Amino acid sequence: MSTLQSWAALAVLAPLAAALLCVVLPPLRKAGKPAAALCLLSSLVSAGSALYLLTQHETGSVSRTTIPWIVFGGKAIASIGVHVDATSVVMLVVVTMVALCVQIFSTAYMHDEKPSSYGRYFTLHALFLFSMNTLVVAPNLMQLFAGWELVGLTSYLLIGFWFQKPSAAKASVKAFWMTKLADMGFVFALLVLFVATRGFEWSARLSTETATLVTALLFLAVVGKSAQFPLHVWLPDAMEGPTPVSALLHAATMVAAGVFLIVRADPLFAQAPATRDVMLWIGSGTALFAACLALVQTDIKKVLAYSTCSQLGYMVAALGAGSAFAGFFHLGTHAFFKALLFLGAGSVIHAVHSNELADMGGLRKKMPWTALTFGLGALSLAGVPGLAGFFSKDHVLSELEGRAGWIPWALLMLTSFLTAFYMGRVLIKAFGGAPSAKAHHAHESGGAMLLPLFVLAVPAVGAGFFGGKLAEWSGAEYHLHLGLTPIVASCLALGGIFAALAVFGRGKTAPFTSVLEGLDRASAVDRTWAGLYRHVLLGVSAVMGFIDRYVVDGLMNAIGYSTIESGASVRRLQTGRIHDYAMAVVVGALLIVLWGVLR
Amino acid sequence: MTLTHCLLLASFLFCVGVYGLLTRRQAVAVLLSLELMMNAANLAFASFAHFKGGPGQVFVIFALAITVAEVAIGLALVMLLYRRYDDTALDRASEAKG
Repeated sequence: MSTLQSWAALAVLAPLAAALLCVVLPPLRKAGKPAAALCLLSSLVSAGSALYLLTQHETGSVSRTTIPWIVFGGKAIASIGVHVDATSVVMLVVVTMVALCVQIFSTAYMHDEKPSSYGRYFTLHALFLFSMNTLVVAPNLMQLFAGWELVGLTSYLLIGFWFQKPSAAKASVKAFWMTKLADMGFVFALLVLFVATRGFEWSARLSTETATLVTALLFLAVVGKSAQFPLHVWLPDAMEGPTPVSALLHAATMVAAGVFLIVRADPLFAQAPATRDVMLWIGSGTALFAACLALVQTDIKKVLAYSTCSQLGYMVAALGAGSAFAGFFHLGTHAFFKALLFLGAGSVIHAVHSNELADMGGLRKKMPWTALTFGLGALSLAGVPGLAGFFSKDHVLSELEGRAGWIPWALLMLTSFLTAFYMGRVLIKAFGGAPSAKAHHAHESGGAMLLPLFVLAVPAVGAGFFGGKLAEWSGAEYHLHLGLTPIVASCLALGGIFAALAVFGRGKTAPFTSVLEGLDRASAVDRTWAGLYRHVLLGVSAVMGFIDRYVVDGLMNAIGYSTIESGASVRRLQTGRIHDYAMAVVVGALLIVLWGVLR
Repeated sequence: MTLTHCLLLASFLFCVGVYGLLTRRQAVAVLLSLELMMNAANLAFASFAHFKGGPGQVFVIFALAITVAEVAIGLALVMLLYRRYDDTALDRASEAKG
């Protein structure tokens, strides 16, 4: 194991050590603050090693260390280890940096929790960071799947962190079963891949049919994890979790794991053009659909949640267009500015004790630093030229130019306008205008909450300039050009913001609100899934329950009952009188004699 | 006196023993009936040995030794029976009734 791989392993194992310590030492976890300090330390170690790896990275360097994991017949069919290349190093930096910022933010945000749940919160965060890093450095799809399921578990636990709230408990179960449903695709993809190649490598050469099958099944898992239409319904509900959790899991890293999987398995997807076409359409469709829904939400976190769906749609569309680099680049910049936006929203929610945009207003004077950083994040998301979001979004759109009759490109261009429009709406509603009743007593958050905002604001503004380096490492084409896409995109972004100013500056509601709310209701995606859950899944469960109760258990009961009954019917033979037994012996002996004589 | 006479006597003794075994209620009488059946068998052994030759008489000696042991155990059981029920009638010991 070389030095670089040791550092990568350290980044994975430090959070695991912290989580394990907190799990096996309940007094430590229940003390709260010490557990938080331990988990923060582990994240710091993790982020430090990831940054060190980044500074040491050289173009084209790929190395891995593995140890056998699942051994069958003396041959390792799956191994576990670390894979260090440009993708995993950059992803590791993004994940650990955002996680560190979110955890620092959480120390202040979760301040009112009891010490025991404070400790539980940070234990889960450490467990999440371990799971996510396992996924990121995975040398094959099997370990990636293990990490994938672990982040799903921690997502479930963190959405349901306030499990005494019925809505949070429901949301966590919903997120769990929606993503598990999709994860079946991953399981079957692994099965097919193993049957075809006797391994779980993403670099395998497959026939077109097998590749299409494997990638389609993998894409099903991605649709669930990255909240693409029609499995996106769990993500807005997942906002029931604490806001920093939404920032880390449901905006920056976990939901992006789906996109990361496609980037990783790009050699497989490259062999399946049919799957890529589906991805192109689903990605661009989701982007527009979710952006429309983001426009009418009244809850600041729900706006950001739909915006996350929409931005993930951009990434999926870019990957569908065959540009792993564009998708990955947008993943990285999105992680920073969306985490910044969520933490900014958390800071606002902490101040006004409400998620509703109507309860905010005028906060730019009360919370100037939050307003500044949130504003930078919003402009970056909107794609204002010069900020990080502009570069990556522009590259995604450039990759889509002319594909599939320009339609996905046009959809995403429209989305880009809507993105600027709804972010403008949030900015104006939350920070502009006159303060509402609840916002009167708001005051700026403390240092532990502002520091992560400032730290994240730096990459949210400047990460775009890292694109050239990332492209060089990924071996992709990337150069700024003054063509059709950047000009149209910039105009649309600025136009969206000015349109929002013009519309909402006077305190009006969004145009077509009733139409869009109708779209939300009429789309009926949520209700379809609820109906499927209620009628199909519960129906199947009822049949299973009937079979279990009356067939499986019935057979056992019948055997037991018939034993008791047959015993009761023959017990009369045992009279207990010695003479009867003697008579039986004599008669038996006589019968034997008779048999001997007659034979 | 031929072998037939001896065997007839032995079977007569055996039948008396069986009759006693099935009809007597006192434990001691049942043990006596058992002895009778045992001795009927011994008689048959001895008769065959006398008229036909062979090692039958050796079996008789062994059987007698075993009978002694059997009687010792049987009488011990009778003692226990008496202690428990203040009676030696076998009808009383019917606790194994199903």
